[in-house]
Amino acid sequence: MRGADLLGLPVVGPGGEDLGRVLDVRLVQDGPILGAFAALRIEGLVVGRRALAARLGYDRYDAQGPWLVAAGVARLTRGTRYLPWADLQLTDGEVRSQVADLGPVPKIA
Amino acid sequence: MTGRVRDLALHLLDRQVVDTDGAAVGNVDDVELHVPEDGSPPYVIALLTGPQALGPRLGGRLGSWLVFWSHALSRHSGADPGRIGMELLTDLGAQVTVARSRVELGVHENEDRARTYFVERIPGARDARR
Repeated sequence: MRGADLLGLPVVGPGGEDLGRVLDVRLVQDGPILGAFAALRIEGLVVGRRALAARLGYDRYDAQGPWLVAAGVARLTRGTRYLPWADLQLTDGEVRSQVADLGPVPKIA
Repeated sequence: MTGRVRDLALHLLDRQVVDTDGAAVGNVDDVELHVPEDGSPPYVIALLTGPQALGPRLGGRLGSWLVFWSHALSRHSGADPGRIGMELLTDLGAQVTVARSRVELGVHENEDRARTYFVERIPGARDARR
């Protein structure tokens, strides 16, 4: 399985409702040790509808300047949500969330 | 224990891979995931580089074209992309550093052949800075 296989997959809720697409994959470096580092383990998926705005990363960090750009991108990415890996099922060509209301994307410290 | 957090597209894909001498090896075009049989979350076991990794990620005609020509020009029948195991990484930051040279990794067979058989035969090419 490749990482890019997940990017862009449609995400549906428990009742089949459209929740957007996979915009990014959240990785945490606490997996098995591979060489000098712990492996990057998938923790969840960033889900939304505006892939281009999400690529800027403003929705992943606390607000940064320039404020006008930050405000504009924050508005564009206000619908971006986070789906923990434990709350999803991968089916043929889509991601099925087991919860209808997804939480906000946890900020990266 | 909570480890450092990174997002795949934001922090890893398209990053430059360099060897320990700082020479460019390629870009991170995709990653290979290991899916444990016990149902625990997948984790990254290798970085993938080259057109055979980038093509499927791009999709469409351009992606298919990249994969087709890379495969057609390859001496080997396999359509696998260049693979850099995560155990070879020595740094994972703004760029990815690996403990092998580009030649040792052998991840860009077509580029290396083009350099050897075409570019280096152009008069004056050997005088150019590497």
